[in-house]
Amino acid sequence: MSSTNAKDDAFNIELRVYVIQYLVLVVFIALGIRFYVLQVARHEDYQARAENNRIREIPIPAPRGQILDRNGNVLVDNTPAFNVVVTPEDITNREDTINTLVQNLDVDRGEILVELNDPLRPKSQPILVKQNASVADLQWVPAHELEHPEIRIEEQPQRVYKYGKLAAHLLGYIGQVNPKQLELPRFKDDGYKSGDIIGQGGIEAVYDKMLRGKDGMRRVIVDSRGRPIADLETIEPIRGQDITTTLDLDIQKVAEDQFYSKKETGAAVVVNPQDGEILAMVSVPSFDPNVFARNVVSTESRKEVAAIVNDPSHPMYNKAIQGTYPTGSTWKIMMATAALEEGVITTRNSRIVCGGGISVGNRFVHCGSNHGAPDIHAAIVHSCDGYFYRLGLKMGVDMIHDWVTRFGMGQKTGVDLPGELRGIIPSRDWKKRVNPRDPVWKDFDTVLASIGQGSVAVTPIQLIRAEAGIVIGGEFHTPHLFKEASATQLKPVEYYDNKPTELKLSDVTVGIVDYGMWGVVNEGGTAGGVGFPREMNAGGKTGTAQVIAKEKVRGKEHKDHSWFISFAPMHTNQKPEIGVVCITENGGWGASASAPKVKFIEAAYFSKKLGHPILPELVALNTQSKTDSRPGADRKRRPVTQ
Amino acid sequence: MVDLSQRRFKDVDWLLLLAPIALTAFGCVAISTSAPDSGYVKKQIVSLGIGLAIAVVIMFTDYRKIVLNIAPFFYAGILVLLVLVLVVGTQINGNKAWLRIAGFSLQPSEFAKAATILMLARYLSQLRQASLTIKDMLIMGAIVLPPVILVYAEHDTGTTLTFGAILATFFFLGGMRKIFLAAGAVAVVVGLIGVYPHLKKYQQERINVIIHPEEADPRGFGYQTIQSVIAVGSGGVMGKGIGHGTQGKLGFLPFAWTDFIAAVVAEETGLIGILLMLVLYLMFIWRLIAVAKSSRERAGSLMVMGFVGLITFHILCNLGMVVAIMPIMGIPLPLMSYGGTAVMSVFIGVGLALSVRMKRFVN
Repeated sequence: MSSTNAKDDAFNIELRVYVIQYLVLVVFIALGIRFYVLQVARHEDYQARAENNRIREIPIPAPRGQILDRNGNVLVDNTPAFNVVVTPEDITNREDTINTLVQNLDVDRGEILVELNDPLRPKSQPILVKQNASVADLQWVPAHELEHPEIRIEEQPQRVYKYGKLAAHLLGYIGQVNPKQLELPRFKDDGYKSGDIIGQGGIEAVYDKMLRGKDGMRRVIVDSRGRPIADLETIEPIRGQDITTTLDLDIQKVAEDQFYSKKETGAAVVVNPQDGEILAMVSVPSFDPNVFARNVVSTESRKEVAAIVNDPSHPMYNKAIQGTYPTGSTWKIMMATAALEEGVITTRNSRIVCGGGISVGNRFVHCGSNHGAPDIHAAIVHSCDGYFYRLGLKMGVDMIHDWVTRFGMGQKTGVDLPGELRGIIPSRDWKKRVNPRDPVWKDFDTVLASIGQGSVAVTPIQLIRAEAGIVIGGEFHTPHLFKEASATQLKPVEYYDNKPTELKLSDVTVGIVDYGMWGVVNEGGTAGGVGFPREMNAGGKTGTAQVIAKEKVRGKEHKDHSWFISFAPMHTNQKPEIGVVCITENGGWGASASAPKVKFIEAAYFSKKLGHPILPELVALNTQSKTDSRPGADRKRRPVTQ
Repeated sequence: MVDLSQRRFKDVDWLLLLAPIALTAFGCVAISTSAPDSGYVKKQIVSLGIGLAIAVVIMFTDYRKIVLNIAPFFYAGILVLLVLVLVVGTQINGNKAWLRIAGFSLQPSEFAKAATILMLARYLSQLRQASLTIKDMLIMGAIVLPPVILVYAEHDTGTTLTFGAILATFFFLGGMRKIFLAAGAVAVVVGLIGVYPHLKKYQQERINVIIHPEEADPRGFGYQTIQSVIAVGSGGVMGKGIGHGTQGKLGFLPFAWTDFIAAVVAEETGLIGILLMLVLYLMFIWRLIAVAKSSRERAGSLMVMGFVGLITFHILCNLGMVVAIMPIMGIPLPLMSYGGTAVMSVFIGVGLALSVRMKRFVN
């Protein structure tokens, strides 16, 4: 550090210091420009993203509307349930979250993966991973809030089917909307989104838009782990419309008991012939829709659901609208009506030989007995096959087909339930189409078609609609379950809009049919021994649907299906106010299995109407609740204030 | 001999002392609004006090003595501490870089930067030729290598790179030939490209998010960068107000009080606050450069310019990271990021510069 004031010998770094100085300046200017771009030019975009970061919308599910019977008894309700939900947006380690759910909360890995991988589902929408959290879950989740803020407990209304299996096919069940449904316009265009809980069967599905209401929302400020810190606003959900059905809980119970008490399967439909209101509809076996309401993705309840879906007895199948059977002799009511209207037979001249059966081609088709030469009344009362074989041949297949089609056979009735089937009504064209080896319609085919056997296959609900229309004089009402939907903040009250189809029948024709059916029950006809209480003035018609050819040896599995269709009162100066059709599968002869069931169902109706039990077996019935109350009268409404 | 005379006080470059104090105070405000509790600010203020004390002591010490006599011991002592860190160090956020001493966490790698600067200045000041020979460059490399190896063993990539920046600064100041400069620039570019495939996955992701921000996974390694940019951008011109930032406060910016302190400043005080901060830094660096220029001796100039290189590199990397033009490397913002050792280490530089300043007329 030597001699002079001069700089060190080689001290020549000044230039390089300048270079560094300018480099520093360049760095600062570049950073300043970048800050300007972010904070001024792109400010609004980032401000929106910062808001989006901290504000979360938590949906508040709207409670679905209740489903009630015609007297205001609640059939389907909601109860608060605690569910475990996962918000995909808040997941930091996907694999860890999935493992945690599977190991600690017993969630099915496959199901949660399906939900997480659903590209349509908004990341902010919580996934329901477990309904009805157990006490252990309710403790586990809050205890692990720090490690797993994405897993939360949410209170959500859960659907409760108060009577379990009762009317399950009518009420339906709920489930998450599936991706295929979301592609359909009726879901896509109506604001349904992935993860929504919708009606998947029965009234729940058909009237979903009324029942679902409008979800509310909580806007909250959350921290980076998704934990709500402060509320901004709450939009209350709007409850769905309550739906009052035409069902009568008491009659539905009696009707179902008829099958369960005898361990038999089959279907029954109870209507008011004058307006098509369905008082009861039964399909046995049934299922418990609560299983679906409980389930979303937990392993245990998936097994329960699988058990129902894979049950070989098909409990979810609604036989009243999806079961197609030969009508057997119940068909004769339509035959008689058609023949009288066409003048093939007349009041004065309706006698036709029975002959104990008929020879067609090289075959002889039997009648149950030899009835001599009955008139139309006796032919109905005693269900004379021989009579109707010959009547059918007189009418010809085209006339038969034409008339039963006018009565709605082989067509959907339009009942407000999903999945109704058409069935089959054979005709010349039909045989040509389905039987190319033997395409020509023969007399033998006509003979079978005359008594509702052979290829005839219709649903119970078709039969009750058609014959109810005939017995009230040619006014065909669409059977329906919807009576009224209550008003909400969003929608006004709605009623069923009844539009019957008119097919004018002569009073004479209707009178003959009416008297014939009355005779079946009250004049020692085919249902004479069933013991219908006289004061009901019930009429009916038995039927036996052949399962396989009579010649074959058979056990119960192959016994014929037993039909009975009945209306009451009949052969009085009043129009029938109740109609019941019942099919007991493999029940054998029509009068033996189905007619007693119908007797109890009708007796239940009249017991309620008269206010006292008219059969000793019905003392347990609540006869005080009126069946024909006005819409919405004495409905149990939720209290508005406490 | 003890001459705290009028003249000596007049010689103190007040701006050089006040600018870093102001920056540290600014940092403390940002730390207080984003750190989990008030303990962080308190520790930072204590560190500022210790840093000032160190600076004052150094200021009144002849820097030539420090460079010639003390630097080798300082350097050797730091190397021992770095080895100790590897043996008994505390791990914080994935880096094992801290020594716990009497309740204080000491980060020896921060001091290692100052020690290396002193050693390089010491070596370079003794050279007499106008440009560096290959032998000189190898010796300088040998000075840097031990701390680099030890810091790299702590998995502290950012600090490791800092040593490269210090070495480059001294090569340049020492008169590296233009051919070497060009070759060095090429080597850096080729090295970066060549190294990329060998980087760890998360390191590659951190680079990718800068090049293709729109393709980055907002939940993955791009998360911090994206949240940082949102914080900066949402601040606007005026900012959301001190204490009213949402990105920092609600935890969207992880560890906002250390590496992303500038994002907090940008969010809460806006472009105004950022410009104030940049101006303070520029004033600080300008004063340092002025001291370097005015130094009569090569050792003083080199030493101060070494700190200029170090501080500028930190600012570039840190702010670059905050505004998403540089990948995340874990390099803190000098004086403002929470971290006591880093603050003290800068004040060592301030003290040395003040000492150089006071000796500018002295032989």
